[in-house]
Amino acid sequence: MPQTQPVSAVDRPSGWLEGYPVEVAGGDLYGDAAQSVSDRWRAVADGLAGISEGGPVAVQDIAARHAADLGLAFRVTGDEDERAWPLTVMPLIVGAEEWAQVERGLIQRANLLEKLAADIYGPQRLVNEGHLPAAVVAGSPFFVRKLLSQGPRRGHFINVYSVDLARGARGQWRVLQDRVRIASGVGYALENRLAMSRTAGNLLVDSHTRRLAGFFAQMRDGMAATCDREQPRIALLTPGRFNQTYAEQAHLARYLGLPLVEGRDLSVIDNRLYVGTIAGPKRVDALWRWINTTSLDPLTFDARSQIGVANLFDSWAGGGVEITNWPGAEVLESPAFAAFMPRLCRVLLGEDPILPNIATWWCGQAAESATVAARFDELALLPAFGMPVEGFSSRQPVAGADLPEDERTELFEALRRRPMDYCGQEIVHLSTTPAIIDGEIVPRPFTVRAFVARTADGDWTVMPGGFARLSSSNALPTSLMGAGDLSADVWVVDEKPVGHSVPPRPAEEPPISRGGGILASQAADNLYWFGRYNERAETVVRIVRALLGSSMEGDSGIEAQAGAMPDLVDLLIRFGAVGPAMKDKPAAQVSAKALTETRLAGGVAALMRRRMEVGMSLRERFARDFWRIVSRPMPSIDVNRPQSMLSSARWLTEHFSALAGQVSENMVRSAAWRFLQIGQRIERAQAICQFSRMLASGDGEALGVLLDLCDSKIIYRSRYLAVPMTNPVRDLVLLDPDNPRALKYQVAQLVDHLEALPSLRDDNIPEPPLRAARALLGDLQAALAPDMTEARLQGICAQLNELSDEISARYFLQFDREEAERRTRLL
Amino acid sequence: MRYSVTHMTRLEYAAPVRLAQFNVRLRPAAWPGQTVSDYQLSVDPQPARVFEADGGYHVNEARFSLHKPISQLQIESRFTVEREDLPFFMGEADGPGLTDLRELAMRTPDLSALAPASYIFASPIAVPEHDIALWAGSFLDESMPVMEAGRTLMQAIHDEFAYDAKATATDTPPIDAFRRRHGVCQDFSHVMIIAARAHGIPAAYVSGYLRTLPPPGHERLVGADAMHAWVNLWCGEELGWVGFDPTNAKLADADHVFIGMGRDYSDVAPLDGTFRGSSQQRMFYSVDVAPLD
Repeated sequence: MPQTQPVSAVDRPSGWLEGYPVEVAGGDLYGDAAQSVSDRWRAVADGLAGISEGGPVAVQDIAARHAADLGLAFRVTGDEDERAWPLTVMPLIVGAEEWAQVERGLIQRANLLEKLAADIYGPQRLVNEGHLPAAVVAGSPFFVRKLLSQGPRRGHFINVYSVDLARGARGQWRVLQDRVRIASGVGYALENRLAMSRTAGNLLVDSHTRRLAGFFAQMRDGMAATCDREQPRIALLTPGRFNQTYAEQAHLARYLGLPLVEGRDLSVIDNRLYVGTIAGPKRVDALWRWINTTSLDPLTFDARSQIGVANLFDSWAGGGVEITNWPGAEVLESPAFAAFMPRLCRVLLGEDPILPNIATWWCGQAAESATVAARFDELALLPAFGMPVEGFSSRQPVAGADLPEDERTELFEALRRRPMDYCGQEIVHLSTTPAIIDGEIVPRPFTVRAFVARTADGDWTVMPGGFARLSSSNALPTSLMGAGDLSADVWVVDEKPVGHSVPPRPAEEPPISRGGGILASQAADNLYWFGRYNERAETVVRIVRALLGSSMEGDSGIEAQAGAMPDLVDLLIRFGAVGPAMKDKPAAQVSAKALTETRLAGGVAALMRRRMEVGMSLRERFARDFWRIVSRPMPSIDVNRPQSMLSSARWLTEHFSALAGQVSENMVRSAAWRFLQIGQRIERAQAICQFSRMLASGDGEALGVLLDLCDSKIIYRSRYLAVPMTNPVRDLVLLDPDNPRALKYQVAQLVDHLEALPSLRDDNIPEPPLRAARALLGDLQAALAPDMTEARLQGICAQLNELSDEISARYFLQFDREEAERRTRLL
Repeated sequence: MRYSVTHMTRLEYAAPVRLAQFNVRLRPAAWPGQTVSDYQLSVDPQPARVFEADGGYHVNEARFSLHKPISQLQIESRFTVEREDLPFFMGEADGPGLTDLRELAMRTPDLSALAPASYIFASPIAVPEHDIALWAGSFLDESMPVMEAGRTLMQAIHDEFAYDAKATATDTPPIDAFRRRHGVCQDFSHVMIIAARAHGIPAAYVSGYLRTLPPPGHERLVGADAMHAWVNLWCGEELGWVGFDPTNAKLADADHVFIGMGRDYSDVAPLDGTFRGSSQQRMFYSVDVAPLD
């Protein structure tokens, strides 16, 4: 037992911090804490130990499980799949007094950035009077000349400001980097806190940890404050589900109740912004953009942008939409600005900076360039404008001393030609914090991303906490650490319990509203296809179960019918679940293929993947439990063990039932629910037709399989004391209005759903999809079992396809993604 | 010289496209030594309005939308221009040495569309390329006067690169044209801009025209039957922006008609825009720059 390791807590479930080495060289968040705060640290450590019983590894596992349950994930650029959330469970605890100073500093800096942006895009006094070199502005790829004199009419340049902070060796906080383009990390901070509340909710309360909810409510109110409508619609503009931080965006949208939109959902009409919904275009008053300025409007900026909205520029410049943060604000992110901030603070605010930023020298000035050359070995070098430059493969700072000789020569040569592309930066030694690494409590360097937002009054509020990043190794305890690879929650703790800091809501009650809000056309499209893929996958699994049941003895839930096997394989081929080459293969092999097929569109694995693809962009609409079921991996399939295959198929059936249960019991009966249902009903109607075409004219065995596939055998037995016969089976699976697995029932449901959707017409004439569905229902209502021939069924299949086309023509977006970019060669 | 300039463009779509919107950058921006009169832009089918927008850099931008689906579009730009010869002293001007020039550019408190600082950094198409920087470095040194540096680069491109209208397209990256040593005026200009900026010289992309037929006894200039492009280098406060034409290895003079200047082609593209639809687009154009005197 590792008792000799002082901080390993396997044997001692309490007192994790007792042996913690507080005499680390560079300062430590716990080691430096005042008595009252370090008491809190120990209480939290004891509390965590109490939760886990088995030591740090166990509590870490609990937290990981909560994070997974919450659907927390992230994606690294280039990854196809999302990764598990790297939350380390030991929070960073900061006392109220220490935090108060950080807060004051951040608010001062937010004011400074606002004034700076207003000057750059306005009178340019700072440049004209020589306080700021023109090149520091012009060097930024985000300095957009078309935005000059186009500042916000009512609102501000900056509504949400995020900033990377370092805590130095002597406990002083300083700014590493300002971020005003995209507030990435703000959702991660929230996610960390949610996972921590689930893991250790009472510890948060007992420690008097300040809550984050108020910050988010105030931020949302701040974005709405300058809109001219009383109940403004704020949308979160995402670059799309392939973006690195899409999961974060979707999560924020859901938490804040904002519609998540992509550029193609939006259009500008008479300088106002609208989102295309199933009920026609709806006005958007404010956008929280997660897209670079230069990609916002392909017509005004980069015609190659596929994620923007044509004429969006005219809309914001004309006061038609408020944008957070105002386009062009990201010019302030250039590292070169840091060199001028102390001076600009005095010029613009008449104050010294409360929070220093990391000392920076911009080499565009001869004297500074000489300083950097002389102190090359003690400084870090980095691109001055956050863009790749010669001699740098990335945008990250590198220590001059660490450069190999050849790179050093190359960098010096580039510095001689283009010094203005580079900055020198001091190397800050970071404080450490106690972290759980491999089951032990060890000091690890950290940085904190903090967040500041504008409230409805236009003042600033600082998130009491943030998103900490820790390095899992101890190799580089300096500001060069980069992104870090672990994250942790930051707890700001008060000495005494603070009265409920529930968000100060506006005194007036909002008007009552019901329903699910707007439904963007694109979301309706995705819901519809989610429903279809889900149902199709379930259908294929159903066939596979019948096939497995036909090939083996025993209780499969579906009776053995060896004679029906060829028909079932034919069905799988018709559904595109297996290729025609499988026709004469053993049932187990065909089944395994159908379950694992990813190349053919009808394979279960392929359908599950496509369902996941459209589901990703719906994530903020689904309840967490629903999403958790959706994202469970498929069970493994072993072709050599038919029994295991059967249980996998059964697992899948249960998976679909669980989802259906979630939808039926927990989903609001909104238009979103209806599109999910419409997709499912159309797909099921198609499947019933296909089954019947193949089996309804067959012998008793075939009819029995048909009843199985339509889940109607038990009703049939209770109704008829005979073996399955053609017309009674036809009536039960096609025409019975009360059998939820019958064709007519599906069509009746389609009519109900379409009737409930909003109409674009004001003359009360039904729209084409509803007319098509009613026509089909009318036919079925008039039909009798003997009418339902193969030819008739074929006709119904065609009608269902037409109905699907009518639905997409009426409700979904009508153009493909090739909008944009038509550059022409004129020489 | 006085010229009458006519530039016709016709776009054809295989199937109608919806919500077509275009930016046209064909009206000459103000430029020393050049006076424009009678500018006319006609578009068929005629849009409801043509808006004059801010082109961001030193370029005029007109924007129009066509609300009805179109399957073809014709744009005609016409004007008369009076172009003066280059001042005589340009032939032997030197300008500051490169180090001095760079420091001057860094010190100039100017953020306007003609400021040196606006053209010294990377831009969407003219991105830094180490190979081009090294190649240019073999001709230049830090104390070389900027006019000499410009002439040297211009001549080197003219000598080393083959003019080949079929070798590159509008979206060919400059580095590809550089590696294969071929291309058209657009590629040559981008290579020269990257080379100049790598050595701290503010460099801009100029779009314009060349006179179509040469004066008697002179050879026809290359690129005269289409739009042309060349490079403006900032040569210090006294000389200001000077045009270098690497395609023809000569300074921009009375044969060159200035339309606009930006960081690279993307800022001054004569025509771009968006539409909805997935139709193939075909383009036809004709340019005529006829002397009036």
